[in-house]
Amino acid sequence: MSAILALLLLLTAASGTAVVLIREPRRQVFAIGLNGLILTVLFTALQAPDVALSELAVGTAAVPLLFVVALSAVRTASPSQSADPGDHTKSPEDA
Amino acid sequence: MSWLPYAVAAWLFGIGLFGISTSRNYIHLIGCLSVCQSATYVLLLGIGYRWDAIAPIFYDHPPGTPAVDPVMQALVLTDIVVGATLTALLLVLTLQVYKRRGTLDPERLRPMRKNAGGGRVGARQEPGTEAQL
Repeated sequence: MSAILALLLLLTAASGTAVVLIREPRRQVFAIGLNGLILTVLFTALQAPDVALSELAVGTAAVPLLFVVALSAVRTASPSQSADPGDHTKSPEDA
Repeated sequence: MSWLPYAVAAWLFGIGLFGISTSRNYIHLIGCLSVCQSATYVLLLGIGYRWDAIAPIFYDHPPGTPAVDPVMQALVLTDIVVGATLTALLLVLTLQVYKRRGTLDPERLRPMRKNAGGGRVGARQEPGTEAQL
């Protein structure tokens, strides 16, 4: 049991390091999901099943989904567009 | 073994701070902040852990069986929810920064620099003002 805990703690440290060192945000999303999965297994081994369930829902599913949505919004939004969404509807009338 | 959770928590916090201070992309920076938060999960659960103890669920165990500390687990549960909320809030703020300034690099967002972000100084004007003038 002690060896499993030590191995899982070292895996957590390694995956956290991977999240930091992967500089490309689209690849970092996968590292974040893997980090959440390893944290889930660690919490199960630390006798915290409810925390593991919450981490599985939040850290493995919800937070990477948020990152993917933010990345898609950044990639689709062109910086030459205006800041206000109201301008988006007005500009065809002016032009 | 008993010092290993604290060492892992300190390492995660340190590497998260390193990532935050050297990041050149706000979305990457938010991921590094979540690494810092995972350091607090490991620290709190390491404090509350007891050897040869059960999970604090006494449905099929008699009362008085040694269990790990449920208060720390409640704190970690709160921490996870707060962390997810903080990540969502910071991502929305990052999107607003990108819409206004057109960049995600913190080095290009110095507040006192003129024409920052590709010369979009007039982005806060009233829409359609220049076309009418």
